[in-house]
Amino acid sequence: MANWTTTARKASSAVLSVDTWLPETMPEYAQGFMYMLGSLTASSFVALIISGVILAANGPATWSYNGPMRFAAATHFWSVQAFFFFMMLHLWRVFFTGAWRGGRRETWLLGAVALIIAIPTAFTGFLINGDFYSQWNAVQAKDGLNALGLGWVNLPNAGQMFGMHVVVMPLVLSVIIFGHIVRVRMKGVVPPYPDHKVNDVKEGQ
Amino acid sequence: MATRMDDEMVHDYKYVPEDFMKHLMSTLGIIVVLVLILSAVFGVPEKPPLTIKGYATNRPVSFEAVATRDLNGQGDIANYGPPYNNGTGYVESDLQKISGIWHPINAEQDFILKPLSMAASIDPSISPALRTFESASRAQQIVWANNYEKALSAHGRYAGGKVVVPAGNYGPVPTLINATLRLGKSGLMSGSLTRNPNVTTRFNNQNYLLFLQGQPLHKAAAPLQLLGEQWGIIHGAVPGYPAAWWMTIPTWIYQWPFVASSPAADAIALSIGFAFWLALALTPWIPGWNRVPRYLGVYKLIWKDFYYNRAKAQKESEKRGIS
Repeated sequence: MANWTTTARKASSAVLSVDTWLPETMPEYAQGFMYMLGSLTASSFVALIISGVILAANGPATWSYNGPMRFAAATHFWSVQAFFFFMMLHLWRVFFTGAWRGGRRETWLLGAVALIIAIPTAFTGFLINGDFYSQWNAVQAKDGLNALGLGWVNLPNAGQMFGMHVVVMPLVLSVIIFGHIVRVRMKGVVPPYPDHKVNDVKEGQ
Repeated sequence: MATRMDDEMVHDYKYVPEDFMKHLMSTLGIIVVLVLILSAVFGVPEKPPLTIKGYATNRPVSFEAVATRDLNGQGDIANYGPPYNNGTGYVESDLQKISGIWHPINAEQDFILKPLSMAASIDPSISPALRTFESASRAQQIVWANNYEKALSAHGRYAGGKVVVPAGNYGPVPTLINATLRLGKSGLMSGSLTRNPNVTTRFNNQNYLLFLQGQPLHKAAAPLQLLGEQWGIIHGAVPGYPAAWWMTIPTWIYQWPFVASSPAADAIALSIGFAFWLALALTPWIPGWNRVPRYLGVYKLIWKDFYYNRAKAQKESEKRGIS
């Protein structure tokens, strides 16, 4: 087998290159608001991490008796709304532009995985809030997990949900989002469909 | 090499100068400002939880019925099944059975008798009733609890700080359940349900939440439009605020008649929801489906300027060619 270090150097040199991360040009078609949606989603994730670190550093339920922490909880709440809002818009944009073309299938797949991982990441956050919404959903949603044989995930256990929400889920999600963005940067955003009529082209041509 | 139709694209595009760093900082700035404004204006939605104390105080008769069902094994958790116990009430699949009992709960002991034995140390009048109940056979315990549960639902009323029912063959159950009501009303029941003698930290509030499973939480959730059949999870507990609206598709699946009426509704709805996601995730590999955006033509709007500029440039070069 090839030299592992050489292989790792080759892979890293592309992934870690400034040309990958700090391009000074962009394709002419990748302009405007439609091409801000992914960045807006990633920015919301950054806002989630910053507000989440503040919340985690102060401990669970501090928002319930401390004004500044309540404001921090509010920023976390609105950040997650922004995150899903822009992610959905981004999803529509990439779907309508067939963004998986030209060797970008794995980019799409990683984005879809990020979406499905983001759902329990957000959900576990709602569960550790301790208000009625969290109480109700912990008790209701546990039936679904139990039915699927995933009873070890104990939604009514705020301690387990705290670990899931603060460490496990964001770590997994961060890795997937990173992989998604690495592929977007390395493969570039998908070029437009040719502007001739659909009927002019037959499969295999 | 031939280009497949689902993979065709223009190749003759230009790169234009772009300040990518400024782009990233701008989107971050937009989000930070947006989030700060929304937080300052709207705050965070918090609906006070349903507490055991609140439930015991406001609905003493219902509270006693819930507690009695933990004694006769008819309660939602007492008869749930895996991962809590060997009950059958909420078993939806073989997977659930195979996964086993991860978080053992004996509702009779954990929800009622253990808290009462602690309460008995500060109120010794509970002890004789507790001893009588614990020394009776299981069949006898169930007869007493069943009789009391029936009496509660037919005639139970709250008077003089306790729930009263007509005389009957209830054994020590009324004494025990009224003591549980007092414990619940005092607010001390939460501590007895979340206790763990091995550690001093109290991270696991499972039994507190599960004691209120079923009627108590459902009665509180219904007016807030949070029940499953009311598209619960996508509604916030505080009206007007967004909640987990991104769960709209799974919530919609729960409304399908054959799902809603199934005893395995959760397992079916989540499995179908997962299949939907799988179709989305595998879009690039699904023939036909991966060509849909080409046919829909929404891309023409998204790349309107690109196509316009291209057509213009083409015309100009044709003109130059003619002249």
